[in-house]
Amino acid sequence: MANIDTQVLNSQELDEQDGEERRQSLVDFKMVTFSLGGKDYGIDIMRVKEIAKFAQFTYVPNTAPFVRGVYNLRGDIISVIDLRLMFNLPAEQREEGHPENGLILRLETNMIGVVVDQIDKVVGIASSQVQPPHPIFGDINVKYISGVAEHEGRLYIILDVDRIFSRESDEEESIAQRSFDAARRPRVQEAASPSPTDEPRSSGTDERAIQRDFVTQGLATFAGFHVTPVNVDWFDRRMDEWRAERQASGKDVQLIDEDDARAFLGTFHSRYAGRFWQADYVTELLSLLPEPAGNVIQVWNPGCGEGYGSYSIAAALLKRYPDRQVKVWAGDKDLMKISTAPNLVFSRSDVPEEWQDLLVDGKNGPTFNAAVKDAILFEFSDVLNSAGMPKMDVIVARDLLSLHGEAEQRKVIETFEETLKPGGALVLGDNERVFDGAAWEEITGDSLTVYRRR
Amino acid sequence: MRVEYINPFVESAYNVLSEVLQTEVNRGELYLKSAAMPMLGVAMIVGLAGDVEGRVLFDMKLETGLAVASAMLTSMDMEPVEELNDMARATLTELANMITGQAVTKLHNLGFRFDLTPPAIFSGQNMEVSDPNFEALIVPMELPQGKIEINVAVRERT
Repeated sequence: MANIDTQVLNSQELDEQDGEERRQSLVDFKMVTFSLGGKDYGIDIMRVKEIAKFAQFTYVPNTAPFVRGVYNLRGDIISVIDLRLMFNLPAEQREEGHPENGLILRLETNMIGVVVDQIDKVVGIASSQVQPPHPIFGDINVKYISGVAEHEGRLYIILDVDRIFSRESDEEESIAQRSFDAARRPRVQEAASPSPTDEPRSSGTDERAIQRDFVTQGLATFAGFHVTPVNVDWFDRRMDEWRAERQASGKDVQLIDEDDARAFLGTFHSRYAGRFWQADYVTELLSLLPEPAGNVIQVWNPGCGEGYGSYSIAAALLKRYPDRQVKVWAGDKDLMKISTAPNLVFSRSDVPEEWQDLLVDGKNGPTFNAAVKDAILFEFSDVLNSAGMPKMDVIVARDLLSLHGEAEQRKVIETFEETLKPGGALVLGDNERVFDGAAWEEITGDSLTVYRRR
Repeated sequence: MRVEYINPFVESAYNVLSEVLQTEVNRGELYLKSAAMPMLGVAMIVGLAGDVEGRVLFDMKLETGLAVASAMLTSMDMEPVEELNDMARATLTELANMITGQAVTKLHNLGFRFDLTPPAIFSGQNMEVSDPNFEALIVPMELPQGKIEINVAVRERT
């Protein structure tokens, strides 16, 4: 159920408000709002699993016209319903291949996808503000409306999704028939006139908490990025910047698509991600790493991507310890990226000055010499499956944990702890940290922190 | 699994299957798995040793196995099989041997030293396979006779 958050109001405001309004300031109902045929609707946020873009439906023959088909949501097959067709509202025809906006709803027994015109934002209101629907409501059958609420000058019709999707069969028939009749009428229309857009005005604590929730969800949906204690310090800082940036440019704080998510994460990536590491990073990192004990320096680099980091760490260690053997176990679960890693194509100028003598000319341009290449073993591997690794001196896992949920992060950190030799070092992304310090000793340099296993 | 090992296995599975069955073969999306997984009914296993340790498992339904064995036998002017008899078993283990053998030859040419163990065949209902310390690469192959899942689990000797 929705948390009951109390909005913090300063005393002057309190004095100005009567009891009625004070009750209204209790936000205990949050809904995801969207538009259908130019009007505003809302669905209880507890029923919304995620916000989605539906790109490719599989059409299912002989179904009601409002059933757009089935959709593969990361392995789960869900049905997708077009709410506009279902409620006989004008639907703007999308071009072929253009993704549709939609929501994934969590019903009592299953999940269902619904297509809408435009997702708006999350709105928090007091449930006492919700008014029952008036019987003469037009477009949508009154029994599917749980109420109407006003928020910042806009009226939202709150849909009762449980009623809509778990109705008795006779109702289903009638609505299907109605939509079928509607489907025979010409349906393509000019784009529905945009609903009046008034920017969210205030930013009280509640508003901020809601924005935070929504951005957190957006990051998980659009970028597979999970906000957890691993990166929450960065996230909170970034959230403030982001709010300022977006308000300055007059845009909504919430993330609407993958581009927004990418923009938000712009400052997350560690230094020299997707490039060879340059001298400043290498020097500082080497100064923080423990002096390796044995003749063989074992390094594990899960989530290595195309392998820039793996080459960098191998080259750096070989330069620093020329008389020892270096072994870098590099893995990624992205088959495309990891397949290019062993024969990475780059130009000489991408490689720092100090490592130029490690390069030789191959048939696709420069490549690292055999000593560096033989030091690295690229594997198609998922860090969650890792087992039976040899004991490591160093683990380099930059910007990897944030792509996993919290439970998986804990499991991976546990694996790191088991796999490291005592005194071995764990290198995370510049904006990531381990959960709790008990097992780890923090070694902090000018701009970098390394975790030593106690 | 080392990146360089993936292609030899995928290619030789594709080549051998389309050659001996004279039919269209579609490769599904490759993926990784480590937990215990149910088996379909008939499985041939070939062990790998040398630079690496591990095994290759070919998993399919009984009907698929019989249809594949029959297709191989009829192409050599022999009688098709109706049940999993000695002839069917010998034919299927030979298929496993051909695919793994070709993959190992390709790997040899790339400079990796692999040895094979003789194949074994398992059959039965409700079986599961698990090797907790291995991550397996699954190569699904779609044939007109049904699906064959090739489950490759190898790791470097440390």
